[in-house]
Amino acid sequence: MNLVETKDLTKYYGKERGIIDVNLNIKEGEIFGFIGPNGAGKSTTIRTLLTLIYPTSGSATIFGKDIIKYAPEIKEEIGYLPSEVFYYEKMRVIELLRYSASFYKRDKKETEKRIKELAELLNLELNKKVEDLSYGNKKKVGIIQGLLHRPKLIILDEPTGGLDPLMQKTFFNLVRQENKNGATVLFSSHILGEVQKLCDRVAIIKEGKIIKVEKVSTIIEHNYKRIKIETSDKIDSKYFAIDGISDYKAENKTISFLFKGNINVLTKKIVGLNLTNLWVEEPDLEEIFLHYYEKD
Amino acid sequence: MNIFLQELKANRKALFFWCFGMILMVSSGMAKYGGYKASGQSVNQLISTLPKAVRAILGFGELDLSKASGYFGVLFIYLIILATIHAALLGADIISKEERDKTSEFLFVKPISRLKIITSKLLAALFNVVVLNIITLLSSVAIVDYYNKGPSVNTEIYILMLAMFLLQLIFLAIGIVMAAISKNPRVATTKATSILLATFILSVIIDLSSKIEKLKYLTPFKYFEAKDLIKNLELDPVFVFLSLIIIIFLTCSTYLFYQRRDLSI
Repeated sequence: MNLVETKDLTKYYGKERGIIDVNLNIKEGEIFGFIGPNGAGKSTTIRTLLTLIYPTSGSATIFGKDIIKYAPEIKEEIGYLPSEVFYYEKMRVIELLRYSASFYKRDKKETEKRIKELAELLNLELNKKVEDLSYGNKKKVGIIQGLLHRPKLIILDEPTGGLDPLMQKTFFNLVRQENKNGATVLFSSHILGEVQKLCDRVAIIKEGKIIKVEKVSTIIEHNYKRIKIETSDKIDSKYFAIDGISDYKAENKTISFLFKGNINVLTKKIVGLNLTNLWVEEPDLEEIFLHYYEKD
Repeated sequence: MNIFLQELKANRKALFFWCFGMILMVSSGMAKYGGYKASGQSVNQLISTLPKAVRAILGFGELDLSKASGYFGVLFIYLIILATIHAALLGADIISKEERDKTSEFLFVKPISRLKIITSKLLAALFNVVVLNIITLLSSVAIVDYYNKGPSVNTEIYILMLAMFLLQLIFLAIGIVMAAISKNPRVATTKATSILLATFILSVIIDLSSKIEKLKYLTPFKYFEAKDLIKNLELDPVFVFLSLIIIIFLTCSTYLFYQRRDLSI
């Protein structure tokens, strides 16, 4: 069953492009990645699904129900963590979380217990005022208010900003746990590594359009690397005439390129050179877009 | 219910200070009346020597200042300015603040319709407005009674406060509709207070020049004037009707606009 389904979902802000003809199918129980550079339309899609903004054309359903017509009903089972978190500054954390909980038809004691558990897990003080929290701690408040009602659909929009690596790990584990317990997750990010770690499938969005929906395992197979080599002698420009090389740049004794394919083929080539330095890096998403998805 | 309570809580300090301000206004104003009375001066004569423009701006008009009711009538103008500023600010703020403080991504993803959110907020604003009115009413009755040596003027005060209530509702509605139609939440309060200022200035200009008397329909400050209210002891039904139309129209517009528009995030 498709938990989230969008049909030619389009949003323009006046004349400015938001998203164009977005078609997504998120299956029940999966962790679905949503990846693209900043400004590609990830947040627009999510905000449209949450009816914070309304589509210009097209439609969408969540749990099989129209997002606009059944908005309040649908939201009973959604937990949302926005990319930037803002809460009522004068409230204490516990007050804010109780306020959040008061909107859902849930058992009070159960919710209270859940707040305590999550706060302990994330190491968050509940008696502090929101205005006294660091950005990372506000984010934690966001995580708890998004999960305290045990939603069936968790929507995370660039959730890791502000969290230190250790906390990110805790957070990812938490998301995995919720997923194991049956929650479906929509995870938006511009960092490929994050999505690779967590997601089953991923939709790639660029300039408002979905350009590909792929299994994460396929992307990992592609295994893009950015290679930079510095040698003591100048390399012949035809030396690296092997498959999977693109964006080849040579400058004196330094060359760099993107590589996709069997890494052993590449290393065999490199063995034949007299290296002075070698860099193997994860290319950023923009680069992958530029060289692999441009033609699609 | 939770939003309603949350809004009451968020506004309680402000409400307290507004009520305090009102009581201060009534008591300091009436204390001056006590002073005039004690000095035995003929206040009316003194005022009549002032140029018409000055009288209009100060709000003296044609009220009999030797009477407590007349003096309170002068004070009434200052009371309605305070009360309408409160209402306009409150209305604009209560709707626009979620967008301004960027908390809309919290509130509007909860399982509650925008219709219910607006309704809760409007009820909370209404509650604040009513409290301010009642506090003003009670303090006026008590303080005026303290200085008044003639027959009771409570009926006059009730009528004036009823008029003030309608004006409060009009400007509350102006505040909320400005917040509902403004794409930029920061300008809602500015727009609402600008309208308030403009209509008030218009009312003063109308006082100065009888030629433009017809324009009185454009400014709520001319709908209910102390001198008429005290004389007739009733609100002019035409203006009550007009007020209700404005309030209903603006409130409906608020629902209509706010439910359909994109939230600015």
